[in-house]
Amino acid sequence: MITAGIDIGSITAKAVVLSDDRMLGSKVAFSGYNAQQAGKGIFDDLLKELEMDASSIEKIVSTGYGRNSVTFADKAITEIICHGAGAYYLNPEVRTVIDVGGQDSKVLTIHSNGTVKDFAMNDKCAAGTGRFLEVMARAMESDLDDFGPLSLRSGSPSKISSICTVFAESEVISLIAKGESRENIIAGIHESVASRISSMARRVGVKEPVMMTGGVARNIGVVRALERALGVSIEVSEFAQVNGALGAAVMAVNL
Amino acid sequence: MEKLSDFYEAALDTEKYIRNLKVKGKRIMGYMCSYTPEEIILAAGIHPLRLFSTKGTISLADAHLQAYSCSLARGVLEDALAGRLDFLDGAVFPHTCDTIQRLSDIWRLNTRFAFFADVVLPVKLDTESARQYMEDVLRKFKGDLEVGMDVRITDAALKQSIDTYNRIRSSLNTIYELRSANPDILTGSDLYAIVKGSMIMDREYLAKRLPEVIEMFKERTPSTDTEKKRIILTGSICDQPDIYTVFEKAGGVVVWDDLCTGSRYFEGLVGTGGDPIASIANRYIERPVCPAKHTSNTARGERLLEAVRKHNAQGVVFLLMKFCDPHDFDYPYLKEFLDRDNIPSMLLQIEDPLQSEGQLLTRFETFIHML
Repeated sequence: MITAGIDIGSITAKAVVLSDDRMLGSKVAFSGYNAQQAGKGIFDDLLKELEMDASSIEKIVSTGYGRNSVTFADKAITEIICHGAGAYYLNPEVRTVIDVGGQDSKVLTIHSNGTVKDFAMNDKCAAGTGRFLEVMARAMESDLDDFGPLSLRSGSPSKISSICTVFAESEVISLIAKGESRENIIAGIHESVASRISSMARRVGVKEPVMMTGGVARNIGVVRALERALGVSIEVSEFAQVNGALGAAVMAVNL
Repeated sequence: MEKLSDFYEAALDTEKYIRNLKVKGKRIMGYMCSYTPEEIILAAGIHPLRLFSTKGTISLADAHLQAYSCSLARGVLEDALAGRLDFLDGAVFPHTCDTIQRLSDIWRLNTRFAFFADVVLPVKLDTESARQYMEDVLRKFKGDLEVGMDVRITDAALKQSIDTYNRIRSSLNTIYELRSANPDILTGSDLYAIVKGSMIMDREYLAKRLPEVIEMFKERTPSTDTEKKRIILTGSICDQPDIYTVFEKAGGVVVWDDLCTGSRYFEGLVGTGGDPIASIANRYIERPVCPAKHTSNTARGERLLEAVRKHNAQGVVFLLMKFCDPHDFDYPYLKEFLDRDNIPSMLLQIEDPLQSEGQLLTRFETFIHML
């Protein structure tokens, strides 16, 4: 059975095509202003890459904050459920999933059958999300992709105490003015994100093994900071960013 | 909805409703929280009006209350300072949470309404002395009201007021029971309008009107859709009609609640024999408590479990106002009660105005999916 999952996130749209137990392909693109177009666009592009026809896809599940805008999907399922399903597909032993995306961060625990047991989600505040890191990258005049490797070279991470993104940005600017090293500031930013996410994770109760998903999982600095904050090792798959779309494609199998 | 337009109008434009009452010569007494002895206010011939948070933005109140006070306290103060409550003849503050107590002082010092009263209720309600203490406090309040508002409150008037409230409370209870049995006979927003309206509208009118509403619901045919997941809401207040709508969109339905603007308001009737003040005091001693009061270490947890069983609920949603510390302190203990019985629950912190619907829907849909 061939299924597709489409995840419309706040910053990027992701699509995955799954054939039984094999992932045929995946794609990531910016969501842009129009969620409906983003869904159609990324789906068509991925099909083109795979040289497939839309008619060969039997079921489609959409997810992410723009899930209800994907009108051609058979069903819309929340990204929390889909991230659980995606992580379970990649490693059925996983019991906790930490998904950090563009504007939300979520922590979910999963039952041994892959269904969601409990979850927590950040509200209103952007601290502990991808957007927070983007704001900081702008303040640091650095490429976000360099954040991870740079932070690993830090000897003594700076302390960033503000929870509010805007205040934290001014703290970062003060640190820059004081001449603090780029590596230390970035490592401090990662610790600040990790501290937000770990306190949310503790509310749900962390059970190992733990997997991190979502775009921010690509940042090794945040992953390491989270491991230290929670005292556990965290698994990151190469499909972390498309994990929601993958989970949606998995959910589509059982529609 | 049209058939309930009187409730919707009062709930959605309270100011207009109350100004109309005022024109007819009614004196209006604002109050915070369901521990206010409304029966005594009504017996004085004064209209009791529950105060809800402002519909505007909060700005003036910020000079007096920190941002970490709940949006209910800040919003009520905002309306008072902005002159939007100038129809009030006074206000009553029962001693429940710390924020209401502090709001009471700030209110007294910064507003100029004719009447003001603190009702300093006991906290521990399961002691020998609590009953007598409660009675004394209510007698003092009655005396303060008589002097301050220049009225005489007779036993006959109290008995009549008790009868009116008993009729309103049992009608609300019946409406809840009907909805629990057949959730589709009225929407969540209809229920919200009825309950909120009942804390705003003329009480004599309500005592007659609510039984008509019940008859109307009884005539409706229940739907056969049993797919909806049955949810119980627990927390402080819910002045958010959209919450019910988002729930229904996500495939759930609220079948009961443990809210100050819900079952805690109407559960328990006042005894009709004997001394009326003692009877009112008795209801407060016996009534299900909120976390600012104490009866036993397990009372709230057991009550929540009982509601889950009785109403065949599949999950519980904690609807907590941000910065509401009494409810926040009770949350871990209540969640433990539910976890022990494998009853799924989710925590939602709310604030006026409500956060974006997208986020709410994601949480609710996930929770409903889990059930």
